[in-house]
Amino acid sequence: MSETVTAPTGRVLLVEDTPTQAEVAKAMLAALGHEVRHAATGAQALLLAQEWPADAVLVDLQLPDFSGFELMRRLRAEGSEAAMIVLTANGSVNTAVEAMREGAIDFIVKPYGKARLKVTLDNALENRALRAELTAVKQQLNRGRFFGFVGASPAMQAVYRTIESVAPSRANVFITGESGTGKELAAEAIHKASPRAKGPFVAINCGAIPKDLIESEIFGHVKGAFTGAIDNRAGAARQAEGGTLFLDEVGEMRLDMQVKLLRFLQTGSFQPVGAARPEKADVRIVSATNRDPLAEVEAGRFREDLYYRLYVVPIALPPLRERGEDVLLIARHFLTRFAKEEGRRFRGFARETEAAISAYPWPGNVRQLQNAVRNVVVLHDGDVVTPGMLPPLPAPALPAAAPQPAAAPVPPMVAPPPAVAHVAAPPSPAPVTAFAPAPPPMAPPPQPASIEPLAVVERRCILAALDHTGQDVPKAAALLGVNPSTIYRKLAAWRSEGVHA
Amino acid sequence: MPRSVTPGRRVIDLGWVIMRPLFTVSAIDPSIAGQLADDLPPEIFRRIIATFEADLARLTGELTQSAGEGDLDGYLRAAHSLAGAAAAVGARRLEVEARTAMDPAQPVSPSEVLPRLSAESRSALQELHQLAGN
Repeated sequence: MSETVTAPTGRVLLVEDTPTQAEVAKAMLAALGHEVRHAATGAQALLLAQEWPADAVLVDLQLPDFSGFELMRRLRAEGSEAAMIVLTANGSVNTAVEAMREGAIDFIVKPYGKARLKVTLDNALENRALRAELTAVKQQLNRGRFFGFVGASPAMQAVYRTIESVAPSRANVFITGESGTGKELAAEAIHKASPRAKGPFVAINCGAIPKDLIESEIFGHVKGAFTGAIDNRAGAARQAEGGTLFLDEVGEMRLDMQVKLLRFLQTGSFQPVGAARPEKADVRIVSATNRDPLAEVEAGRFREDLYYRLYVVPIALPPLRERGEDVLLIARHFLTRFAKEEGRRFRGFARETEAAISAYPWPGNVRQLQNAVRNVVVLHDGDVVTPGMLPPLPAPALPAAAPQPAAAPVPPMVAPPPAVAHVAAPPSPAPVTAFAPAPPPMAPPPQPASIEPLAVVERRCILAALDHTGQDVPKAAALLGVNPSTIYRKLAAWRSEGVHA
Repeated sequence: MPRSVTPGRRVIDLGWVIMRPLFTVSAIDPSIAGQLADDLPPEIFRRIIATFEADLARLTGELTQSAGEGDLDGYLRAAHSLAGAAAAVGARRLEVEARTAMDPAQPVSPSEVLPRLSAESRSALQELHQLAGN
């Protein structure tokens, strides 16, 4: 098979003071298909380069106002990324070496023919294109921000690339990761990077909605469908029309609801609760769980067919302890943001504080770090955050395989309690926190050897639920079957009572 | 090995024909000027000759003036530009004369070199015009 190779063409700035030489060069460059601008002096070249960024600059060494080398230096100083090629009548090694040292990519000895000019320019333009590509790739590899994410670690760069790759398609995406790793942020990033970005993004936390109401929340209901259905109500599927529906904690869905979700995924149609006819909706589904989805399938809690329908493109969000320097990037980001919100002077963390933050494994991930920084900013003020300002952090109960925290100074910690037996997934921190002492976990239920005050039991249950959910108050409230505001009120009350760790 | 020769025919020494340009007194180098004429459209080639002609007039004028005023820098600068212009169109003999004028190691007085430059300029232009079919 024959292959047509097209020589690269580009914008060439010719800097040559002798009109005959300039005319010959311009004629050759035009014949080679390049766009050419000509400057007869160094000063003219600098002006031209500002308004007409060139891909390559052909520089005569002896210019009327200053040398070609000086011009190259000034062009570079002004940010020109053009490939510099020196034109010289002196083909000595010294000239060649000096040209290269001054940043020229090549040099041409005068007089030169079209063939020589072509080869040199082709190489220079190809080299420049490769350098530009390399720079772009490096920039992509070192991104410190991506939509709502903060983080430049290799693990997050891989996440960013996957999101960018999958966003333009309609493929279903399944996000996994421990609590607090940013699953909803990832879902939003997919939505915002997709052609559906102008459509709605609707998030449903399947774990926070009473199981009897989840069908109505997703598919809506008609008036009179059940007690309390006083009007027709559009569900999340209808609200997400033309956009993205994010189903968080999808593994918490009852099996009968999973069947209905599967049908919706297969046909694009659903039936609101109590409705006589199915409806269609054009939505992209992104789902997430903090559990091992395959283990849930094997345990019979998640339908295999639904799993394969949803698990088209998996994205695994790394825990914060595996994100290296990201922890400090994120901490600084939150400090700047919260200090501005709260009107505090904080400009950064003391070195020892950063060491403590880096050493701690943050089992509650970004959410835990966010809460810790918020706590510091609300309760303290100053130029820098000192280690003593950090809230007490629970001793981590990490799985054996997880990296152990380094032995750097860490703020006071609460001794780890026994692990909560019924917690299936992510490594949980021992009970919290800044505002309460570490109580024993909620389960197994205490033996009635002694009767405790109800308030103590209540506090223990709430703290255990917060622990289990990575300090996510709405989720903890859902698990306890209370309103999130109840938990917020309790936490505030304990704080005002001075119940501290 | 002896060359076989067909009786009654003249033997043409091809080697001599190929080498001939080196021994002629041509003012231009056909490997440069001829290549330009081949590579570029005729109107572009003619424009280059016109530019060269203008350069010659300007630069020989600058040389004469600088020599008269004792302005060595101006003299060397004009000689350098003339050498470059001549090289670009393959006017080799003119280029050599211009480089002689700017070479401090071989001082040649302007009164000696300027007439030679003028003569070479005329020859080069004449041959370039011939090449362009003017």
